[in-house]
Amino acid sequence: MAAPELVQTDPEGIEGIRMTWNNWPRTKVEASKCVIPIAASIQPIRPHVDLHVLPYIPLRCKSCSSVLNPFCRVDFTALLWICPFCFQRNHFPQHYNSISQTNLPAELYPNFSSIEYAIPNYPQNPQNYNSVPVVPPTPIYLFVIDTCVIEEELDFAKSALKRAIGMLPDNAMVGFISYGTQVQLHELGFLEMSKVYVFRGSKELSKDQVLEQLGLSSTGGRRAGTGVQKPGGQLSPTAGSVNTGINRFLLPASECEYTLNSLLDELGTDQWPVAPGNRALRCTGVALSVAAGLLGASTVGTGARIIALVGGPCTEGPGAIGSKDLSDPVRSHKDLDKDAAPFFKKSVHFYEELGKQLVSQGHVLDVFASALDQVGIAEMKVAIERTGGLVVLAESFGHSVFKDSFKHIFEDGEQSLGLSFNGTLEINCSKEIKIQGILGPCTSLEKKGPAVANTAIGQGNTTAWKMCGLDRNTCLTVFFDVSSSEKSDPSGTNPQLYIQFLTSYQSSDGQTRLRVTTVTRRWVDSAVGTEDLVQGFDQEAAAVVMARLVSYKMEMEEAFDATRWLDRNLIRLCSKFGDYRKDDPTSFTLNPSFSLFPQFMFNLRRSQFVQVFNNSPDETAYFRILLNREIISNATVMIQPSLISYSFNSLPAPALLDVSSIAADRILLLDSYFSVVIFHGMTIAQWRNMGYQNQPEHQAFAHLLQAPHDDAQLIVRDRFPVPRLVVCDQHGSQARFLLAKLNPSATYSNVHEMAAGSDVIFTDDVSLQVFIDHLQRLAVQAS
Amino acid sequence: MATPGGPRPGNIPPIYTPNSLANKMQELQINQPNLPQSNNPTVGASRPPITTPFGQQPPTFAGTRPGPPLPSAFMRGPVLPSPSGPPSTLSRNVASDRPIAPPPGSQPSPRFTSRPLPPGSLPSSMGGATLSLASGSSPQLGPGPHQQLFASSPLMSGPAAPPPLSTSGPLSNGLPRITPAQLQDGPRFPPVMGSTPRPPPIAAPQPARMLSSGSSSQHPLLRPNFGGPSASASLATAQPGPPSASPQNMTPSPAPSPFSAPIQSVPPSSGSPYGMQTCMSQQQQVAPPPPFPGLQPPRMYGMPPPLPNQSMAPTSPALGHTGAVVTAQSMVDLNHIPRPIPSSIVILHMTRQGNQANPPPPATSDYIVKDTGNCSPRFMRCTINQIPCTVDLLSTSAMQLALLVQPLALPHPSEEPIQVVDFGESGPVRCSRCKGYINPFMKFIDQGRRFICNLCGFTDETPHDYHCNLGPDGRRRDADERAELCRGTVEFVASKEYMVRDPMPAVYFFLIDVSMNAIQTGATAAACSAINQVIADLPDGPRTAVGIATFDSNIHFYNLKRALQQPLMLIVPDIQDVYTPLESDVIVQLSECHQHVEILLESIPTMFQNNRIADSAFGAAIKAAFLAMKSTGGKLLVFQSVLPSIGTGSLSAREADGWRNISAGEKEANKLLQPADKTLKTMAVEFAEYQICVDLFITTQTYVDIASISVIPITTGGQVYYYYPFTALSDPAKLYNDLRWNVTRPQGFEAVMRVRCSQGIQVQDYSGNFCKRIPTDVDLPAIDCDKTIMVTLKHDDKLQDGSECAFQCALLYTNVYGQRRIRVSTLSLPCTTLLSNLFRFADLDTQFACILKQVTSEVPSTPLPQVTEKPKNLCINILHSYRKFCASASASGQLILPEALKLLPLYTLGLLKSCGLQANGRIDDRSFWINYVSHLSTHSAIPLVYPRMIAIHNLDEKEMDDSLIPETVPLSSEHITDEGIYLLENGEDCLIYVGNSVNPDILRKLLGISSVEEISRQFVLQQYDNPLSKKLNNIVNEMRRQRSSYLRLKLCRKGDPSGTTFFSYMVEDKTPGGLSYVEFLIHIHQHIQRKMP
Repeated sequence: MAAPELVQTDPEGIEGIRMTWNNWPRTKVEASKCVIPIAASIQPIRPHVDLHVLPYIPLRCKSCSSVLNPFCRVDFTALLWICPFCFQRNHFPQHYNSISQTNLPAELYPNFSSIEYAIPNYPQNPQNYNSVPVVPPTPIYLFVIDTCVIEEELDFAKSALKRAIGMLPDNAMVGFISYGTQVQLHELGFLEMSKVYVFRGSKELSKDQVLEQLGLSSTGGRRAGTGVQKPGGQLSPTAGSVNTGINRFLLPASECEYTLNSLLDELGTDQWPVAPGNRALRCTGVALSVAAGLLGASTVGTGARIIALVGGPCTEGPGAIGSKDLSDPVRSHKDLDKDAAPFFKKSVHFYEELGKQLVSQGHVLDVFASALDQVGIAEMKVAIERTGGLVVLAESFGHSVFKDSFKHIFEDGEQSLGLSFNGTLEINCSKEIKIQGILGPCTSLEKKGPAVANTAIGQGNTTAWKMCGLDRNTCLTVFFDVSSSEKSDPSGTNPQLYIQFLTSYQSSDGQTRLRVTTVTRRWVDSAVGTEDLVQGFDQEAAAVVMARLVSYKMEMEEAFDATRWLDRNLIRLCSKFGDYRKDDPTSFTLNPSFSLFPQFMFNLRRSQFVQVFNNSPDETAYFRILLNREIISNATVMIQPSLISYSFNSLPAPALLDVSSIAADRILLLDSYFSVVIFHGMTIAQWRNMGYQNQPEHQAFAHLLQAPHDDAQLIVRDRFPVPRLVVCDQHGSQARFLLAKLNPSATYSNVHEMAAGSDVIFTDDVSLQVFIDHLQRLAVQAS
Repeated sequence: MATPGGPRPGNIPPIYTPNSLANKMQELQINQPNLPQSNNPTVGASRPPITTPFGQQPPTFAGTRPGPPLPSAFMRGPVLPSPSGPPSTLSRNVASDRPIAPPPGSQPSPRFTSRPLPPGSLPSSMGGATLSLASGSSPQLGPGPHQQLFASSPLMSGPAAPPPLSTSGPLSNGLPRITPAQLQDGPRFPPVMGSTPRPPPIAAPQPARMLSSGSSSQHPLLRPNFGGPSASASLATAQPGPPSASPQNMTPSPAPSPFSAPIQSVPPSSGSPYGMQTCMSQQQQVAPPPPFPGLQPPRMYGMPPPLPNQSMAPTSPALGHTGAVVTAQSMVDLNHIPRPIPSSIVILHMTRQGNQANPPPPATSDYIVKDTGNCSPRFMRCTINQIPCTVDLLSTSAMQLALLVQPLALPHPSEEPIQVVDFGESGPVRCSRCKGYINPFMKFIDQGRRFICNLCGFTDETPHDYHCNLGPDGRRRDADERAELCRGTVEFVASKEYMVRDPMPAVYFFLIDVSMNAIQTGATAAACSAINQVIADLPDGPRTAVGIATFDSNIHFYNLKRALQQPLMLIVPDIQDVYTPLESDVIVQLSECHQHVEILLESIPTMFQNNRIADSAFGAAIKAAFLAMKSTGGKLLVFQSVLPSIGTGSLSAREADGWRNISAGEKEANKLLQPADKTLKTMAVEFAEYQICVDLFITTQTYVDIASISVIPITTGGQVYYYYPFTALSDPAKLYNDLRWNVTRPQGFEAVMRVRCSQGIQVQDYSGNFCKRIPTDVDLPAIDCDKTIMVTLKHDDKLQDGSECAFQCALLYTNVYGQRRIRVSTLSLPCTTLLSNLFRFADLDTQFACILKQVTSEVPSTPLPQVTEKPKNLCINILHSYRKFCASASASGQLILPEALKLLPLYTLGLLKSCGLQANGRIDDRSFWINYVSHLSTHSAIPLVYPRMIAIHNLDEKEMDDSLIPETVPLSSEHITDEGIYLLENGEDCLIYVGNSVNPDILRKLLGISSVEEISRQFVLQQYDNPLSKKLNNIVNEMRRQRSSYLRLKLCRKGDPSGTTFFSYMVEDKTPGGLSYVEFLIHIHQHIQRKMP
């Protein structure tokens, strides 16, 4: 296959896959010498113009159940195909009879290494799918809104909700929960009066308890007949009628929009008193259990999202992250390090359980947090990530980061996130390959098989994963291992290795799809030489994988020294793949395939992923969730922001991520993924303040001013969550958003060396140059 | 008199105003349009005050004293004054007046004029009479000195008194007529000697006559006191009794003769009260024999001391012949066995006369109390009106010593309102040792610098600002101006030290069952409509708050405070572990949510119209409501229709199992009458702790295990209302009226009560609906005018003969207006060493009420046969003691009954046949009965076991005098004819029995049906356009008013289960399991004889 770097414009291609190594070392030992683990970043349902959708059921290998793909060997005369994974011979069924060299089904086209099957909803009765219009299960949107906030915030949240409800498809089922000190589940189907089920915030509720108390329990004799409470009442036209009970709470958007709107109009802030010096009692945990419990009554296989708008820390009941006493600050990284966060473990455990429940139901938890304080994303992370939920952290429900992101979810068409439900990922691979696990928004289904590696990274011990929620950008990192036992097959009968990713999911319009992506890579014998390995190295992917891995290790391993680990690995890598003379730092050079990597590592060391102490645990969790679920290019930006410079004299051009790029007559546009900064040089700022851009004769200046804004809008528009847009001037306070990301090549210690007009950064951090110098020195002496 | 003006600040609302009550009472009868009219006549006749009270109110509340109210007061005045005024003329006037309003103008003057007169006269008489009575052996001598002592004072006070009176008139306007009386009273005490001569002629004679004539002519004797003499007479004829008795009773026998003499000279004192009665109630009787005071005085006194008869008096003739009881039967004149004879006469009762406690009139009679030192018997009455000095004496008598305390009892509308005394910051003066409150019997010594507590005997320093010099009579000079020094009952304004928090607001939380059954039987709709109507009657003001919740297998609260249209329903689904769904806004100030409440109540029945949930989470619901009310406390009114089947405190339908056990002859059949478990009890104690009172309205058609759920009202000072089987046609009216009375009757919240006794006696135990956490105090989350608490007493020392023993009940409570008050009632009774006195002063009603309560309380825990033995043995022992020690001379073949207790056997028989003691009764009926008795007031106890029955088929034949209610018919099927229609009521239920051969015309006129066959189970009394129907309605309404209960009307006919029910009330009949009245008397007699040596 073509090495991805050759296709820079679309590195993922139709496959949506990038690997750290595109040529694989054949043995385990060799693999470990490569330093950077063999991993693939996959984007399971990446949209692509060339993607074909086949309206039939795929053919599967009868022994390993992999799907027919372009890498199969096909015997047209015998009507046989040989599975590349297990070498099983399979007969084509009757309807493939007309197959021939010139008449290939789409799935055998070599350029359709990714292909999608639209599975009819009654697969057990395939003849039927054309004649009977099957109503696809409609997704459920269960909104959970925090009312322990100030009036203004609540109003923002309410208007966001109203707009969202208006944007939902008419048949989407909607439910509504508000909570504060207690949880209020609104029964939307009760027309005589606003009706609310109230749950106490302090008591943990199991799913069964929730269902029983809502009269939805299938087994509970307690209130048999509850479901019949409104005979002759509204009957949902949709499929939900299987379970009448739940229709009291979940109604099609078209039916309940009015009810919901008036309900939102009346919704006030939480009434339970807050003692002075205390935080509001907020029972986010129970609210989410109730939501999860309620969804538990929905039909199996129905996609559902819990969309939680959280305005502060949970202080009551299960999932509490802190005490209600304001004088106890919410846990910091330091507290976590010193094990001085008494609520943390309990809370995490609670969310783990909640996550498990949601996963078993196939439902998603989305959290939109907006507070100046932390709300507990660090604890909720596990539930969000396991279910493939979305998370947005903002300062206020009125802030565009929240508002636009929230709107984005429900948008249709081009901008659509393509929210899908109930995804399952299965991986088939050549038998020399073992799968260690996946980092990213998914849950292991614990499906054991020969391809399962002994050691697990992330969600491991399986060849199948559940993704309750996934969207077009969802990205997973699969870690592979090379089986050493396969050394017994030195002849290398097959120089190619094959991996097939099967992703079945329910698209946003309710259709069941199966995306089949089959890739092949080449085995290389690295003992012979590293050339092939080097050529197959994807530094961006590697940097991102390292970032994900180091984050994972920081979370999982006690007292893990991330910086050190990164440094050591970088040194090893450079020692292995660099060209140098021993002990001569000056002789050190790196192949272009590796040349950017040290800088990535330099920036990664300084990034929020490693230097967590500058952030709250919530922010760290938030950053990491996004790091794990974003595509490589976006993740790269998180690690090493991009910087574009605008000036009169030249076209907009990338600039060095260095303090030296700052100039008085330049505008800089920094994209660090979470924020987009437009930075005006001093002179530009002065001109602008004097209003030159408004004068016809200075139209060029107006254009110059406008250009970065336009570009920023482009970035902002496509991205979810919407980044924070910061517009600042040199020497302004907001300039810190830029300065923090720049290479401190100019600090107060060497300010005299710098050219006039540039800037300095007040830091003790080493600059890239110093870092590289050290690296070279250590690399050459290491081995 | 004078006092009221002083201590009572204008702005302190009266404790409660009689008028308002009267109002409510009237309103009790909702359905009948003409009620008001009908009432008025009655009222006018029997109790003029009812109207007057209204007049009174305004002044007290508004503070505008004289202006507006006066006229009204005067209006009534006429009627009232009459008593005090010249007897004959006035009385007549009154009689004629009733229909026509008397001219107001003319009346007042007489009053005033008369006032001065009475004072003098009364006292003298009083003093003499009482003293003589009390002391017994030394009748006249005793008084002499005393009087002299007092004599001086009267003069002093005498003059002083009148002026205040006049002023007080307007103030206390409510009591216009009383005022005269009061005036008299006031002086009476002190001025004993004063104007002795005059009064006698005036008042005294009449009463005496009245009584004598009335009683003798009419019927034997319901009233021991009044009737006593006459009855005795009639009976006596049959028996040799009286004479023989006299010898035995040392005191009594001599007494009569001596008295007679003095009496003649001094009749008035006692007379005056009676005079009142006569005037008020029945003039006819009065009219005839006005003149001779001398003759009758004894009877008048009769009440307390009276007559010779008392001692041996009431020998019921039942068994004329000696040993041969059985044979005797034939001889028994059924018409002469003792039976209660209700009288419509209104008695004026002064609690003390001549510095002596005055034995109270029967609790069941109609009386007006003049508080002259002892508290009104409505508030507190003792089983014996003289206290035995030793425990031996008491046990010899076989009677028990107990108090029935009803601290907020509903006064007669024409009684003077209780005075409110404000001691300011320092709070009321109290004994520093026993903490007894200042009362008229505290003795001030040492120029008033110190006082001796009448309860513990400790000598205290008088607080500096409370100091007052003593007058020559040894009383404080300001004694008559200070209510706490001259009234048996006063209310103190509680100071800060009596509050642990601000007085709580009046919170009413309504909890309505909306489970399938409740909806389908119409119970929910009835409850909602009743609440909706009652909302307007809740006390006004910002301190009144309401909340509403409904429940089936969930609990539904409603947020009533919302800007937008709809109330919000908040469901609490966790019924194992409940909570309140909102911190505020579940209970909202009434003024803010009136509309919402109305809308909500209207929509609840339709909203749950199709509810298919049959389960009821009663326990969880009340717990949740409790949590919502916890911060304030208040009243929780629960409307429950089915057995609590789910959630906290759920119950099982154990009745069915129970029956099996009973039929299997298991011994623990009574277990079903005990609470199923402790859950609800624990809950109830917690409720009480947070001052929450629960009332249960059970509208059901099935078993709901009242035995278990009634624990909650019992512990929290509430009560159970039981509508079984509930019918949507006839029960909603009663439900509404019960609810209305429940919330509008005089009541208090967060109350604590304690009874203190003089040294030598101590409280043994309290029983009633309350929660007791420490032995000495009773915690009452709520208390109202209908709740009675029994206080049993025991000796811990000897009492001094001739001294007095005092009982003081102090009730600290918050009234509905949020004022914290201490109501203190003090009763001081003489001590005696004479057994005969105990019998003479026994209070039958109170004794029987105590027996009833004690027996009832044992029913759940003791096998029935043992329970029924107890009242029988008590009755036998008492009568035996009397026979043995006080009437030993009589022929052994005679059953001799003390006059005061002559009805004891009948009531005992009634008790044995009552619902609660029937092994085969429905468990819930029995449980309800047990619960009903636990808080029953003294005056309701008798009707419960011996209901009142009247014939109503011949209403037009009888010329009814002023009393609305026709003569009662004995509860014996012999008195029931097939042609008759009878109405029987016991204070709770009202049965109308229709004979099989009733004149269809009458049937149609009365009940609107043409034949007996049309009788249905559901019955609503309607008024048709004919005099018969009007009369019937008037009668029923009057009964409702008297009972403060709407009465549940049922039609009964022969050969039908309903007929069986009716006949089960025929107490005097022989039943399969019980003796007839005559047989019972014989039975008792046999036992007594057997005991005699």
